[in-house]
Amino acid sequence: MFTDKVDLKDFEKQDPEYQDLLRRVLAIQADCEIGGPNLYVKDILPNAPTKLDQLIVARTAAEEMDHFRKMARLAGDIGVDVSYTLSRPNQERYVEAFRGQITTWEDYAVFGFLIDRVGRFQLEEFLGCTYLPLARVVEDPDIIREEEGHVDFGTNATAEFAAKGGESKERIQKAIDYWYVKGLDMFGNSKSYRSERYMFWGLKRRPNAVARQQYKDEIDALILKMGLTLPDPNKGRLYT
Amino acid sequence: MEPAQNTEALDQQFKEFIQGIKKAVAAGMPHLKDDPKVVDQSIADCKEILDVVMEGNVKEWLS
Repeated sequence: MFTDKVDLKDFEKQDPEYQDLLRRVLAIQADCEIGGPNLYVKDILPNAPTKLDQLIVARTAAEEMDHFRKMARLAGDIGVDVSYTLSRPNQERYVEAFRGQITTWEDYAVFGFLIDRVGRFQLEEFLGCTYLPLARVVEDPDIIREEEGHVDFGTNATAEFAAKGGESKERIQKAIDYWYVKGLDMFGNSKSYRSERYMFWGLKRRPNAVARQQYKDEIDALILKMGLTLPDPNKGRLYT
Repeated sequence: MEPAQNTEALDQQFKEFIQGIKKAVAAGMPHLKDDPKVVDQSIADCKEILDVVMEGNVKEWLS
């Protein structure tokens, strides 16, 4: 197990596998950060239920853009230009959850509740990691606090829809059914060799399956508390 | 280690975008109940910036 702490000046001295994995994870993280706003800004910013909601959508997008900026900077500093992630179509995003378009407020709420929560889990993977510039970014309280803000907004909005009952509850259940498996899939394959290598190099803390199970335990409890039904965790899954 | 081309310029451009949106949001938030015109202008300002970002024409921003 690799336990050294690596700063930018020593990056090129590292094992090629370490360099490749770091380049890869930063490109994916940047793509995911900008992938969120690309899903919802177009339709949700003009059509959010209230002006307050519109401003919240704009502020959320700005915070995700700032997370993108930080990841793009880390990637750029080690020679990876991730500007292509700004112009690519959603269908070409690294992660399947970012390949569509969010057109309803229910989907926007559940996206915050479930998918931004995966984002928080992914950022937490880098806490204390061996690449110091990345560890510093995620250990800055702003980035996790902002992500938690998005998660809380989505969780509260989802709970409000569920509490209304009737058609509102049905619509939010439909959104839960759609995003639930996408969230589980975002943790990747449980038997991923690459995941083991990330852990070996101290770039991630948990195996995919462990992080996914922790996430699932957290969201299942919340979904049930809202009086909603747990979707089949295996239906439509790309990775197990 | 040489950074990728445009790393600094992209970083600066994004800082401007982000500051612009946050400034617009901060201008509108206090007036949700008393001045809809200010709020509408804030939303319009946010949309204008976000439309540019979503378009993703990086070469144009950095030229």
